[in-house]
Amino acid sequence: MASTTLSRRTWHPSWPRALVTTLTLLAIYVPLAFIVWQSFLSAPFFLPDKNVGLDAYRFIFADPDFYRALKSGFALAFGLVVIAVPLGGVLAFLVARTDLPGRRWIQPMILVPVFVSPMVLGFGYVVAAGPVGFFSTWAQALFGFIPWNIYSLPAIIVIAGLTHVPYAYLYISSALHSLGSDVEEAARSVGATPLQVMTAVSLPMVRPALSYASVLLFFLGLEVFGLMLVLGDPEGHLVLSTYLYKLTNKLGIPSYHLMAAVSMVLIAFTIPLVMLQRRLLRTAARYATVKGKVTRPRVLPLGKWRWVAGAVVALWLVVAIAVPLAGVVLRAFVSGWGVGVSLTDVLSIQAFRSILEQPTLLRAIINSVLIGVIGGALAVACYTAIALAMHRKPDQVTRVLDYSVLVPRAVPGLLAGLAFLWVFLFIPMWLDRSLEEGWLAVLPFASWLREHAIEPLRGLRSTIFSVWLAYSVVWMAYGLRLISATLLQVAPELEEAARSVGARRAQVTRNITVPLAKFGLIGSWLLMFLIFEREYSTGVYLLTPGTETIGSMLVSLWATGAIDIVAALSFINIVLVVIGMGIALRFGVKLHD
Amino acid sequence: MIELTVEALHLHYGSNPVLKGVSMELARGEVVTLLGPSGSGKTTLLRAIAGLELPRQGKIVMSDRVLFDGASGTEMPAEQRDLGIVFQSYALWPHKTVAENIAYPLKLRRVSASEQQSRVQAILDQLGMSKLGARYPNELSGGQQQRVAIGRALVYNPPVLLLDEPLSNLDAKLREEARAFLRELIIRLGLSAIMVTHDQGEAMAISDRILLLNDGRIEQQGTPQAMYGSPQTLFCAEFMGSNNRLPGTVASVEAGRAVLQGNGWTLRGEAKGVLQPGQAAIAVVRVERVRINEAAGDNALSLPRSASMYLGDRWEHLFREANGGADSLALRVYNASEQVPNPCHLELPEDAVWIFPA
Repeated sequence: MASTTLSRRTWHPSWPRALVTTLTLLAIYVPLAFIVWQSFLSAPFFLPDKNVGLDAYRFIFADPDFYRALKSGFALAFGLVVIAVPLGGVLAFLVARTDLPGRRWIQPMILVPVFVSPMVLGFGYVVAAGPVGFFSTWAQALFGFIPWNIYSLPAIIVIAGLTHVPYAYLYISSALHSLGSDVEEAARSVGATPLQVMTAVSLPMVRPALSYASVLLFFLGLEVFGLMLVLGDPEGHLVLSTYLYKLTNKLGIPSYHLMAAVSMVLIAFTIPLVMLQRRLLRTAARYATVKGKVTRPRVLPLGKWRWVAGAVVALWLVVAIAVPLAGVVLRAFVSGWGVGVSLTDVLSIQAFRSILEQPTLLRAIINSVLIGVIGGALAVACYTAIALAMHRKPDQVTRVLDYSVLVPRAVPGLLAGLAFLWVFLFIPMWLDRSLEEGWLAVLPFASWLREHAIEPLRGLRSTIFSVWLAYSVVWMAYGLRLISATLLQVAPELEEAARSVGARRAQVTRNITVPLAKFGLIGSWLLMFLIFEREYSTGVYLLTPGTETIGSMLVSLWATGAIDIVAALSFINIVLVVIGMGIALRFGVKLHD
Repeated sequence: MIELTVEALHLHYGSNPVLKGVSMELARGEVVTLLGPSGSGKTTLLRAIAGLELPRQGKIVMSDRVLFDGASGTEMPAEQRDLGIVFQSYALWPHKTVAENIAYPLKLRRVSASEQQSRVQAILDQLGMSKLGARYPNELSGGQQQRVAIGRALVYNPPVLLLDEPLSNLDAKLREEARAFLRELIIRLGLSAIMVTHDQGEAMAISDRILLLNDGRIEQQGTPQAMYGSPQTLFCAEFMGSNNRLPGTVASVEAGRAVLQGNGWTLRGEAKGVLQPGQAAIAVVRVERVRINEAAGDNALSLPRSASMYLGDRWEHLFREANGGADSLALRVYNASEQVPNPCHLELPEDAVWIFPA
C-alpha cells in the first residue's frame, strides 16, 4: 500500500514535458540524420539513380583542394588561439583591474565584433584596406606603396585573430571578476608590480578560463566562414566551410553528397571540441570555488605603463573595429571608389535608394527585423520551454537533453541551413509518395491529405519560418545557457516553499519560476535579437524568394559583386545591431556571461 | 623609536567619509590593535597604510620614507612599501604550493634560489610546519593556512607587519591557540605590528596598545589595562568587557563623584565627563564587579532572580525587577555557584560604577 502511493507520487508523467522533449530531439536529430544519410549516398537524395556507399568520401579525399582547405583551416584555428587568447587575457586584466585610460567605454566597444556579422567585418576590411580600399589608397598617396596585403593567408589569420579577441576577453574577464582581489593585493604587498601581479597571480588563477577560451577559439577558428569567404577568395585561400560552399557548383549539378561528406569531416572535428568545452566549463566552475574574498578592489595603478597599455589597446580597437566599420560606413555613402577618386565628389545615398526600389532587398530588411524581434521572442519562448523541461529535474531525460542541445552547436550554421533545406524538401516529398502508393495510402482520406496538407508543408520552405527554425536550432545551446542561468537564479527555496504550500510542478513554474525570471528572459530576448541580426551563414542555403534576410543576401550579393548594395545592407545591419546593443546597455542587460 | 606615523588621515568611499582625521604612531617592537565595531574604519585604515586604499588627505610616514602625503600628492605604490600583510581571508595563491607562496616575495627581490630555499625552510620551521612545504593551500587546515599567510608576510623581514582580522576565520577552539601562537611569535621575533580586530578580548590579549575607532575617528587609545580599567567615554566603556547598563538622572555631583537616581533606586559612582544635576546619565558596571550579598549594604540593589546560565567555570545570573517589562531595571552577575541567597542584595562598589553623560 505504502509503496504504491510512493511510486505514484514519484512517477509523474508530464505531457508538456514529453512533447517539448520530443520536438526538441526531432529538431536536433532529423537534420543531422539527413547529413549523415546523404553523405553515404553517391548522388543527391532526390535523384533516382543513387546508391549507398563511400563514393562521396572517396571524391573529397582525392581532391587536393580539400587538403589545402583542411590545412589552412587548421592554420587559421591555431592562429586564432595564439593571437586571441593572450591578447584577450591581457585586455581582460587591463580593463578589469587597472587604471587603463578610458576603460569604461572600452567595455561596450569590445563587444562590437561579437555582434557584428563577420561577413560585414570582412567586407569592411576589403573596402577599407583591400588593394583599392580607402585606407590603402590614402597610404599609397602618403608612402607611395601599400604596406599591407589583407588577402594573404597570414594577414587573414591576423585579422581573424584580432576580431576574435572579444570571445577570449569575455570568458577571461568574467573569471577575473569572480576572482578575489585579495590574492592580487597580497602579491602587491609583498612587492609585485602590476605586470608581475598579472603574470604570477591573476592569469594563472584563471587558467581554467584560459584553457576554455583556447578550446572555444580553436572551435570558432574551424567554423570561420564569412571572413574567409570575403578575404580568402581573391588569392584562392579556402577553409573547410568555404570549400564546402564552393562545392555547390563544382559538378554542375547540386553536389549534396559531397557537401554532406565534407560536413561529416567538419563535424568529426567539432563534436569532440564542443564536448571538451562543456567539460572545461564545468571544471572552471569547480575551480571558481577556490578563490579569495571578492571585494571591490581599488584599481592597480599602471604608472608609466599606463599610456603604453592604452596605446596598444587603442591600436587593437582601431584595427579590429574602427577600420572595418569605417570602411562599411564610408562605402555605403559613396557611389564608387577607386584610385584617384576624391571622397567629397562621390558622396551619395544612391545605394539606399536602389534598395528601396528592389522588393527582394526590402523584404530582406523586413525579414531581418521580423526574425530578430518576433523570431527572437519565439526562440526565447521555445528555449524557456526546453529549459523548464530540464529545470531542477535531474533525471535521464534531462541528461539526454543536456547533451543533445550541444549537438547543433557543433554543426556550423552553413551546414545546418543545408540540412534544414533537405528536411523541408524531403519530408513533404516522402509524405506525398507515401500517401500516394506507400503505407500511408491506406489512410481513408489520403488523397485529400495530399491536396490540402502537403502543399502547405511544401510552402513552408519558402516562408521565413524555415529560416527561423534553422536559426533557433543552431543557437539552441547558446540560448539555453542564457535561459537556464536565468532560471537558476530563482532560489530553490522559493520553489520549494511553493510546493510545500501545495503547488503542483506546473503551478510552481507558472506562478513562481517564470515570473521571477521575467527580466532575465527579456534580456535573453534582446540577446537573441542581436544574434539573429548577426547570423548570415544559416540562411544561405535556405535563400529563396520569401526567405531573404540581410545576412544571406550579403553572401549571395557578394558573389555577384554588387559592392554598393552590399555596403548599404551592411550599414543597415550595423545600425540594427547598434540599436539592439544600445537598448540592451540602456536597460543593463548583461551582454555576456 | 617611532616606526610608523599616521597624521590626520581622511579617506572617502565615493562621497561617504570613512576616516575622518585619524592620527596614530607605532613604536618599534610595539603591537598596536585597531579595535572597533564594523564600519568604524579600522580595516580601511590598515589598507590605507598598506597602500591598497587611496586617502584624500593626511600623511603616512614610515621611518624616514613618506608613504603617502596628501599635501604634496605623493603616493608610494603598495608594492614598494615593503610591509608585510596577513589578509583576513589569508589570500594564499591556490596555484602555488606552500613553499612557493612563501618564496614568491623573495623571488621578487631576486634572492638566489638556494637562499630562497633555506629562508623558506627556516620560516616553515619557525611556524611549526617543516614538512608541509610541498602541499597546496587547499590541502591545509584553516590554522595551517593562517600560518602560511603569516610566513609569507614575514619572510622578507618587513619592518612592520599588518594583520587584518587574522583570527576571525578560525573556529573558536583554534582561535585561542592561534592567539597564543601569534603573541609568542611577535614577542620572539620582536615584530612591530598593527592588527585589526573587532574582538576586544583578542585585542587585549595580543597588543601593547589599543586604538579604539568609532565612526572614522579614534575614540580612545591606551594600554589594554587602561582601556579596560579606566575608559574615558561611554562608547569605550561599553565596547570593552561585559557590562550592566543603568540609565538614570544625575541627582548630585561632588569632587569627581556623582549620584545617579533611577526609578526607585539610587547609586553613587565615579563621574566620567562633565555632569550636571538633573542631567540624564548612564551608569556602566562591569558584570564581574557586581557582588552578591546576603545582607543589605551600601550602594546595593535588591532584585529577584529571573534566570541563570551555566558557563562552565561559573554561573551567570540575571536579576530583574518583579513584573518588569523588557526595559525594566536588570543586572547580570557572575557567581561561583548556582545558589544565590533569597532575597539577594547586589552590591555595586562605588569605584566600579562609572557614570557617563547620556
